[in-house]
Amino acid sequence: MILESIKLSHFRNYESATITFNPSVNVFLGENAQGKTNLLEAIYVLAMANSHRTSNDKELIKWDEDYGKIEGRLKKSSGTVPLELILSKKGKKVKVNHLEQRKLSQYVGVCNVVMFAPEDLNLVKGSPSGRRRFINMEIGQIQPVYIHDLSQYQKVLHQRNALLKDMSRNRNKASDPMLAIMTEQLIDLAAELTFRRFHFITLLRKWAIPVHASISRGLEDLEIIYKSSAVDVLEDMELSKIKEGYEEAFGRVREREIDRGMTLLGPHRDDLQFLVNGRDVQTFGSQGQQRTTALSLKLAEIELIKNEVGEYPLLLLDDVLSELDDFRQTHLLKTFKEKVQTFVTTTNTDGIDHNMLKHAASFFVASGKISEPKE
Amino acid sequence: MHYPEPIAKLIDSFMKLPGIGPKTAVRLAFFVVEMNEDDVMEFGRSLVNVKRKLMYCSVCQNISDRDPCYICDDSSRDRSVICVVQEPKDVIAIEKMKDYRGLYHVLHGAISPVDGIGPEDIKVTELIKRLEDEGIKEIILATNPTIEGEATAMYISRLVKPIGIKASRIAHGLPVGGDLEYADEVTLSKALEGRREL
Repeated sequence: MILESIKLSHFRNYESATITFNPSVNVFLGENAQGKTNLLEAIYVLAMANSHRTSNDKELIKWDEDYGKIEGRLKKSSGTVPLELILSKKGKKVKVNHLEQRKLSQYVGVCNVVMFAPEDLNLVKGSPSGRRRFINMEIGQIQPVYIHDLSQYQKVLHQRNALLKDMSRNRNKASDPMLAIMTEQLIDLAAELTFRRFHFITLLRKWAIPVHASISRGLEDLEIIYKSSAVDVLEDMELSKIKEGYEEAFGRVREREIDRGMTLLGPHRDDLQFLVNGRDVQTFGSQGQQRTTALSLKLAEIELIKNEVGEYPLLLLDDVLSELDDFRQTHLLKTFKEKVQTFVTTTNTDGIDHNMLKHAASFFVASGKISEPKE
Repeated sequence: MHYPEPIAKLIDSFMKLPGIGPKTAVRLAFFVVEMNEDDVMEFGRSLVNVKRKLMYCSVCQNISDRDPCYICDDSSRDRSVICVVQEPKDVIAIEKMKDYRGLYHVLHGAISPVDGIGPEDIKVTELIKRLEDEGIKEIILATNPTIEGEATAMYISRLVKPIGIKASRIAHGLPVGGDLEYADEVTLSKALEGRREL
């Protein structure tokens, strides 16, 4: 898919801006703190209806303004779709083809993006919650039902935690049947989520392992492991087996859960583990290996989305091109040239392959204004 | 400039209603000033009566102006089936269908530990008591298809099964008469999950 143009109103530091994009590579040039990343963020928000940087939508609206708006024209193989996202203090509205979508799950997935930003190193180095966020966002892009199940799961979890907290303070037997019911509700959704997650990891592994081998010039073997808090998930595991696993695990921790007054198992406590040449990258990997791992995951996603959705996503690269060495940069660009529309931010073009720049459209970004540079 | 006290008090009262903010309240209050006196008196009486003359049916817990209510008192209805709902509004919805001829039981809420509502805070005990002495054969659990409604239905079904009474749950999925193409992905996928053999 190709993002033909974007129009911003009152978004971050942009009063208003309209940009027509190049179908292959777009480079945003400019000093620090001028609004380059805000542009990528705008594309990301337009696609995902959520920011990668903040969970507070109010931050996206320009200072002192009441609302913000992002409009885009997305060319897909099925035709051109106008997308619109309106941010206000009360919430956000999304429109596809000028029609308002009441459910976000109806909107997310129309436009697919893959972003690679400096923060993505945290995917490997950071806390498990970051990795769960990654899984949730990516599956949500391909399967809208997943977003629904996830929000149902969080509601049950919230209820069950309230019940357990209550039981930890005053133990009366009357709550026992209630706990059994909420455990059953939780397990149903937990198994569903785990099943979809494992399927996703299997696909991710299929694409990420060869990519990683190729950017490390065959020197590194990547392995991705889904670490469930409750069940040992094996390849091609059936939903009913996962459910049984959860039932058994919840039976084991029942007393501990009541003591602690909270839910101790479930997808909200799962994690991903990355091994390079058999060793955990998070603890033993070098900075370079961690970066390569994060990059492999992101590149694998591109192929994964293409395979699941039928079209390549947009690729957003935030200030990472100059950090990659020549080999990895060339690899990155060669792989996706002509196929994937790419958006790149950088402070200067020195570190970037000049062959690529020839085919790219460049934009100068200075204090919330965008201009096309003169040759 | 302040509003005269009677108007200010009326505005304040209107604002206690759901969905009415300060602007609407002011508009309504000034409209009342212009209304003819009989209508206003009637309005006032209705408001008072809804509180004074309305009661809860001691059998089904629905709101009514007499006890037992018309439905519980109607001997032509099927007295072996009880439809369990969350709110009095739900009874009206099901009655509109004109197809259900059994009895009702209104729970006045759903179990929700987050809001501190346990089984003892809704009318479950009253329901179980009815089951013991009324010759009921089946209960239909028509609580909302939310997490809380679902949990409440499961809770009641577990209490009821040992007594030897059939408990059923209303179905959810595609709306009747709707085209498949207009259903959203989530509804569609849930409908597919709940498919049945023909």
